[in-house]
Amino acid sequence: MTDTWPYLDVHQSRTHEPTPYEYKLAATLEEVFTHEGHELTDVVRGLNARKVHTADGAPWTEESFRAEMNRLGA
Amino acid sequence: MTLTSFTTADRIYATGLRNQWHPVVPSRFVAPGAMRKVTALGEQWLLFRRSDGALSMLADRCPHRGAPLSLGRHLGDRVACWYHGVEVGADGTVTSVPGLPGCNLEGKKLVTSLPVREVGGAILAWFGDEEHPEPAELTLPDPLTDPAADAFLCYAEWDVPWRYAVENLLDPMHGAFLHHESHTMFAGDTTAKFRIRETDRGYFFEKTDQRGVNFDWVELCRTGVDWVDLSIPYPPSAGPGGPFGIVGMVCPVDEHRSGVFFWRYRRVEDWQRDSWRFLYKTLIEKRHWEVLEQDRVMLEAMPADADQRENLYQHDLGVVRLRRLYRAEAEAQSSA
Ligand code: FES
Ligand SMILES: [Fe+2]
Repeated sequence: MTDTWPYLDVHQSRTHEPTPYEYKLAATLEEVFTHEGHELTDVVRGLNARKVHTADGAPWTEESFRAEMNRLGA
Repeated sequence: MTLTSFTTADRIYATGLRNQWHPVVPSRFVAPGAMRKVTALGEQWLLFRRSDGALSMLADRCPHRGAPLSLGRHLGDRVACWYHGVEVGADGTVTSVPGLPGCNLEGKKLVTSLPVREVGGAILAWFGDEEHPEPAELTLPDPLTDPAADAFLCYAEWDVPWRYAVENLLDPMHGAFLHHESHTMFAGDTTAKFRIRETDRGYFFEKTDQRGVNFDWVELCRTGVDWVDLSIPYPPSAGPGGPFGIVGMVCPVDEHRSGVFFWRYRRVEDWQRDSWRFLYKTLIEKRHWEVLEQDRVMLEAMPADADQRENLYQHDLGVVRLRRLYRAEAEAQSSA
């Protein structure tokens, strides 16, 4: 923790620098929200249509998407 | 005692109103078992946290001969001054004078200790003067206590007088100009008519002809601590949940500096909350920061006499109202 004035830290909410997988998922999620809508079914369909899959390569389901958001967003 | 009641109105106006709560620094700045020196309201303070998490805030001034306690040692439940070893407990009582055991300083409460609360990841302290050492009631900002809202705190230190930082928040119209290129404030009219609407805790300063498009309204709330509430639309890319809100507070550090506290909150639950949090941490926080930097660059570049040589117009009513309020309170708090 720095003691020097001024404290100007861009990132205050992160626990780690996002991985390439996290960056890609976030960017695609923004695109999906913009073009497909805000319902969970739209989001899962939109991610799968763009072939942006889970960390182990599986297509998303509503359950796996919820669980992953909970892990990454908590 | 350090916050003296014979301060002039000008000094209070410059260094922050007394007899209210103010934010100091984020809680995470003081780890368990650690201490941290801070400046607030133009005075030096020591934040001291026991290993069990209990926090206290002491004047950073040894009761013996005035050395900074922050140069001393953390002894678990007390601090030992480096100069001659006098020990001071978390409530400001001298617990030991090692050089002269039995000395009559022992057992006396000689160091100012401010009441503290921790709220939404920030330390708030009661800055009472000699006549008002006991804290007044504190009603927390509702977005920070609402279980349906989820917030991230963003804290920054600006070389800006505290009033300029608050005035900036009571000036919604700058959103459509200063932040025109931003991801959230690109839309909406660049002309507007404003009105002031009184509430039982402060006042709204709002556009009469547009809401939910840009930074269109702000509420000043005086609930023991001064804070603002405002709302800014998110683009569809941020997902479900609608606009994000900001609870803003300012710490008057000294007459030239401020600590600014912005809680970005959103009313979202379940997977919608989680996905917003994920996007915030990964992509949105940085964009918000860039917008905030525009405020800092502008405010730090304002001349010191900016508020002495102005030509105000209708959009500045919110600021005028704020100054009148703060000026009157500074006069009332000075004994001059
Ligand atoms: S000044 Fe602190 S012990 Fe003497
Ligand atoms: Fe701004």
